Amino acid sequence: MSRKVLLHVGTPKTGTSYLQDVLFRNREVLAEAGIAYPATRHDGHFLAALDLMQLPWGGLQAEAIGAWDALAEQVRAHDGTAIVSHEILATASRAQIGQALESLGHGDATEVHLVLSVRDLVRQIPAEWQENLKHRARLSYGAFLDQITDPERATRIGAWFWGVQEIPDILDRWGQDLPPSQVHLVTVPPPGGAPELLWKRFSQAFGLDGIDLDLEGERHNPSLGAPETALLRRINRKANAELAPADYRPLVRELLAHQTLSRRTRSPRLALPPELHPWVQELSASWISEIEARGYDVVGDLGDLVGAPPVTDYTDPDRPRERHVAAAAVDAITALLLDNARMRHEQERLHAELADVRGALERAHATPSYRLRHGIVVRLERSRAGRTVLSVYRRARGRSSRSA
Amino acid sequence: MSTSVELGRARAWAWVAHLRAGGTTPWAAWQSADGPEASPPREPIAGSARGGRFLPGAQQLELLRRLNLAGRPSTALADRVLAASAPGRGRPDLELVGVDVDRRFGPPAVDPAELPDDELLRVATGLLAAGLVERRESAVPSPDRQRFRVTRRFRPRYELAGDPWLAAAYTSQLVADGRPPGGGGRSVHVLGTGVAAMLAHTWAAGAFGEGAPSWPDFLAKVRARRRLPRRVALPEVVDRFRARPHTGRVGVVLDPAALPRLVGVRRLDAVVDPPAHATELARQVGSALSLLVLPAEQTQLLDTVLRPRLAAATGGLPTVPPEHRDWVDDAAFALRQRLLRAGYPVLGDPDVLLTTPPDRPVGSVLDLAIELLLEEEAT
Amino acid sequence: MTQRRVYVHVGAPKTGTTYLQDRLALNAASLKRHGYRYPTGTNPDMFLAALDLLDRPWGGMRPQAEGEWEALVRRTRRARGTVVLSHEILAGAKPGEARRALDDLSFAEVHVVYSARDVARQVAAEWQEQLKHQRKVSFRTFLKQIRESDQRGGSKRATRWFWRVQGLPGVLERWGNGLAPSRVHVVTVPRPGGPPEELWQRFCTALGIDPAWAPREGARSNPSIGAAEATLLRRVNVRLKEAGLPSDSYRALVRQLVVHETLALRPRMTPVTLPPDAYDWAEEVAQGWIDWVKGAGVDVVGDLDELRPVRPPDGTEWHDPDRPRPREVTSAAVDAIVALTMEAARRPDPDDTLTSRAARWARLLRR
Repeated sequence: MSRKVLLHVGTPKTGTSYLQDVLFRNREVLAEAGIAYPATRHDGHFLAALDLMQLPWGGLQAEAIGAWDALAEQVRAHDGTAIVSHEILATASRAQIGQALESLGHGDATEVHLVLSVRDLVRQIPAEWQENLKHRARLSYGAFLDQITDPERATRIGAWFWGVQEIPDILDRWGQDLPPSQVHLVTVPPPGGAPELLWKRFSQAFGLDGIDLDLEGERHNPSLGAPETALLRRINRKANAELAPADYRPLVRELLAHQTLSRRTRSPRLALPPELHPWVQELSASWISEIEARGYDVVGDLGDLVGAPPVTDYTDPDRPRERHVAAAAVDAITALLLDNARMRHEQERLHAELADVRGALERAHATPSYRLRHGIVVRLERSRAGRTVLSVYRRARGRSSRSA
Repeated sequence: MSTSVELGRARAWAWVAHLRAGGTTPWAAWQSADGPEASPPREPIAGSARGGRFLPGAQQLELLRRLNLAGRPSTALADRVLAASAPGRGRPDLELVGVDVDRRFGPPAVDPAELPDDELLRVATGLLAAGLVERRESAVPSPDRQRFRVTRRFRPRYELAGDPWLAAAYTSQLVADGRPPGGGGRSVHVLGTGVAAMLAHTWAAGAFGEGAPSWPDFLAKVRARRRLPRRVALPEVVDRFRARPHTGRVGVVLDPAALPRLVGVRRLDAVVDPPAHATELARQVGSALSLLVLPAEQTQLLDTVLRPRLAAATGGLPTVPPEHRDWVDDAAFALRQRLLRAGYPVLGDPDVLLTTPPDRPVGSVLDLAIELLLEEEAT
Repeated sequence: MTQRRVYVHVGAPKTGTTYLQDRLALNAASLKRHGYRYPTGTNPDMFLAALDLLDRPWGGMRPQAEGEWEALVRRTRRARGTVVLSHEILAGAKPGEARRALDDLSFAEVHVVYSARDVARQVAAEWQEQLKHQRKVSFRTFLKQIRESDQRGGSKRATRWFWRVQGLPGVLERWGNGLAPSRVHVVTVPRPGGPPEELWQRFCTALGIDPAWAPREGARSNPSIGAAEATLLRRVNVRLKEAGLPSDSYRALVRQLVVHETLALRPRMTPVTLPPDAYDWAEEVAQGWIDWVKGAGVDVVGDLDELRPVRPPDGTEWHDPDRPRPREVTSAAVDAIVALTMEAARRPDPDDTLTSRAARWARLLRR
C-alpha cells in the first residue's frame, strides 16, 4: 500500500514535458529512493489521462483503453511515494476526479497531494493558440482570442482553454476533497530568469532534492515566432483534408514546427495583444487573491502570475510581414526536401542491402553445415535489413528473438 | 458559505431527488428546497465513485429529466445517468443557474432546459456505448455459414463491390441464403446508384464501421480531395478488380433489378437506406466506443448489436446541403460521362447517377438515443 | 528511286520540342506505315544520344551516354524510309560536333529543322531553365549578361550556352554547313493565343508529314512558372547548395515534384517579362535573325515577323521578376510545402516494405 501519491494535473506549457521526461528517464534512480513513476513508455500517463477522461486523440484512443486502471493499480501496489503527472488531467470533471482519487487510494490510508504548475496568462494565451495549431487547428489568432474572451465558453476551444487554465476552478475541482496543505502550486518564473529555477521548484514540490537525477534533455517545447505560426496555419489549411494524423505528427509537428520553424529565433515573437493586457491583469489579480485566501502551499511566488508588461513592438500573426513568412517557408521547403531525399536514399540503400541478404540466404539454404549457417546469421545480424529478415524468420519459426 | 448558497444547494439536491424518483419538473420551475432529500443522499448514487458529495452536472440532470418525460427509467438507469461523464471534447459538466450565487470561477452556470441537444447527446452516447460493451458477451455470434449451405447445381461465383452499403446489404442476404461470395473466376459486380446516395451510403458505412466525421465534415473532406471516395469511384473500382488475378467478368450494376439474375437467385429484397439520424447516432456511439474497445470490436458491436436495434428507425438519407450541391452534381455528371463511354458492361441507365434521394423528414438524434436507453432496460 | 532522307530537328529548347517528340513517339506506328521512322530505341527520348555527341558533363550524366550517338546512327542507318531525329540540345553542338553528325548521317539526304521563338520569351524561359538546374542567378543579372555578350560565343558559361542554342544564325551556320539552303528549315513558333495545333502543323509541313498520319495528341506540358515561383526556387536553390542535396534527388524532388507538378500548375501567376527598356535590344536581335534568314535563303515555315518581340501595350505596369509580391511567394511556398509533405507521407516506411520482403526470403532459410 502506497503511503503518498503526488498527483500533478497541469497546467500545459509549464515545463511539464521536461519534468515527465526527467521522471521517465530516471525511473530506476527514483525507485532506489522509494519513489515510483510507473510507466513503460514516455507517454504512459498521457494515455492514462485520456482513458480516465474518455478523450479521443487522433487515433491514440485504442492504445489508451484500460491505461488508467493499470496505472492506478501500480500506484496502489507501491509502498512509498508515487508520482502521476499529466497536464490534460486539469480538465477532468468532478466525477472523473472522484474516480481518479479513489482509484489512487484516497480515503484509504494514502495521502494524496495535488501539484499544479502554473504560468502567467500573458504567456499562456499565445502558447495555447500555438499548441492548437500544432494539432492541425486552422483558426486565426483573432478568432481564438474571441472564443476565449467570450464569457459563455460554449465553443470547444473556449471550454478547453479555461478547463486547463483557470487555476481557481481547477483547484476547486481537484482539491474538493483535500486539505489546502496537500495542494501545492508551483509557479513558473518570469522570462529571462535562470533556466534551472523552475526545475528547483519542481524538485522541491515533488521532494526530489538530494536524488542524483540525470537532467539532460530539452527543457521546454520550443515555441514559434509570429510569422512561423502564421505559416503553420496556412499549411494546416491546405494540407488538412489529405494528410492523415499519423503523417501529420512526424512531418508537420515534428519536422517542420519543432525541428525547423522553432529554430528561427530572430523572428518577431508571438505575444499577447497589448489591448488584452488590462483584462488579463484584472483576471490574474482575482486569481491571485483567491489562491492566497485558500491557503495552498505555494512553491515560488504568486507574483509570477502577473506576467510581463505589454510588448512595445507587437506583431499580429494574422497580418505578418509576408517576407518573414516567405523566409520561414523556404526553410520549411529545404527541410522537407532534405528529409525526402534522405528517405529516397535510405530506400535505395535498403534495396541494395536486401539484394545482398537475399544472396546470403540463398547460400545458407544450400549450406548443410550448422557452423556455416551460424556464420551467415552472424553476418546478417550486422546489417539492418539482415536483422529484419532474421526477426521475421524467428517469428515464423516461433522462437524468441534471444535464442538465435 | 452564505445562507443563500446553502438554500440554493438544498433546492438543487431536492431537484436531484425529484428526478431520481421520476419527476419531470424543469429546473426553472423547481422551487422547493424540501424534497425527500434536501441534502446529499446518505446512500451514495450507485456508480459514482465517492458518492453524491457534489451535484451532478446540468447535462446529466437534464438528460434524466428527458428520460422521465419519455418513459420510466429505473433508479439504476437514473443513477447511471447521474454518475456519467460525457466522453470526448465539449463543454465541461455545468452547474445549475441560481445555486451557487457566490461562485466566481468556472464556466457560467446554465438553465439545463436551454442546453443544446448535442450536450445531452454526449452523455447519452457515452451511456449507450458503455451499454454495448456490457452486452458484448451476449452478442449474437455471426451466423454459422455451414448451416445455410445448400447444395445448388448452378451457383455463379460472385463478389459485390462499389457502394459499400448496398454491397454489404446484398452480400449478407446472399450469405444468409447459402451463397457466400468469392471463388476463383468470380464475376465482380460493382454496384452504384445516385452519387448523392452513394456519398450518404459511404458515410453510413463509416459511421457503422471504423468511424466517420460528421456529415458536413465528410462532404467537405470529399470536396477538398476533389475525388469521390475510393469505393464509389466506380471506374477505378472496376480497374482495380480487372487488374486482379482470378476475377472473371467485372461490370457496373446501376439497376438493382438486374442483380438477382447476375448472382443466380430469383429475387433479392430491396435495401433499406439508413436514416440520417440513426446513422448520426451510430457515429457518435462509435466514437464513444472507440474509447472503450479496440477498433475491430467497435465495428462488430455497431454492426451486430446496435444496427439491429436501430432497424425500426425510419427517415431519409442525409441530404446534400446547398453549398455542396454544385460539386456533387458535377461529380455525378462526370461519372455518368465516363460510364457512358466505358469499355466494360454497365447495367442500368447511367442517368440514375444524377438522381438525388427523396427529401424525407429527419428524426431527432437525441430522441432516438433516449428511446434506446429506455429500451435497453426493457430487454 | 529518290535517296532516303533524315530530318534532324536540333531545337531550339523551349519551342515546344517535348510536345513534338511526344507526338512523334505516340504515333510512331501510324507514321511507320507512311514511311516515317522516329527511332527512339530503348530510351524514351534521344537525350543521351545528343549528350554523347555534345560530350558535355551534364550534371554527371555523361558516362551514361557513352556510345549512344553511334547506336542512334546505327538504328537510323538500318531503318527504312525517312527518319526523324529530334533533340533540342543538339542546337548546342560545336562546329566540329555538328560536322561529325552530318558526316555520320551522310548515307542519307540530311535536312536540318530548327524551331525558333522570339528572344524576349526565350530569355525568360531560359532563365527559368537555369533555375531548374539549381542555379540562383537573378533575372536582372541573367539578362544583363546576355545583352552584354556576343551572340557568337559569349564569355560566361550560362550566356555562352544561351546563345549557342538560341542564337539562330550561329546554330544554322554550324548545322547548315555544307547543306543546300533548301534543306535547312526554320519553323517559327506562333504567338500565344493562336490555334493550339498550329505549331504541330508547321512542323509537319517542314518534315513533309501529313498531320492526318499522326492523330494521337501528345501530352501538353507547360512547365513555365511565374515571377514569385521563380524567386522561391532561387531561394531554395541557395539553401540547397549550402545543405548539399544530391543531384538525382534534386531532379526528382525539386524539378519534377515541386516545379513541374506543383508550381507550374498554380493559377494566375505573374509572368516573367523583359523590362520595358530591353525591347529595343530584343527588336535589334530579331532584326538580325530575320536579315540572316533572308540572306541565307533557307526554307521558312511560318512567319518571320513572329520572331519580333511583342511589346506590352502602353501603360502596362512592368512587374520586376526579381521583386515579386511577398504574399505570392509565400503562397507558392505553402503549395510546395504541402506537396512535399504529401510526398513524404506517401513514401512507404522502408521498414514495412522490408518486413514483407524479409518474410518472403525468410522462407528460404526454413527447411
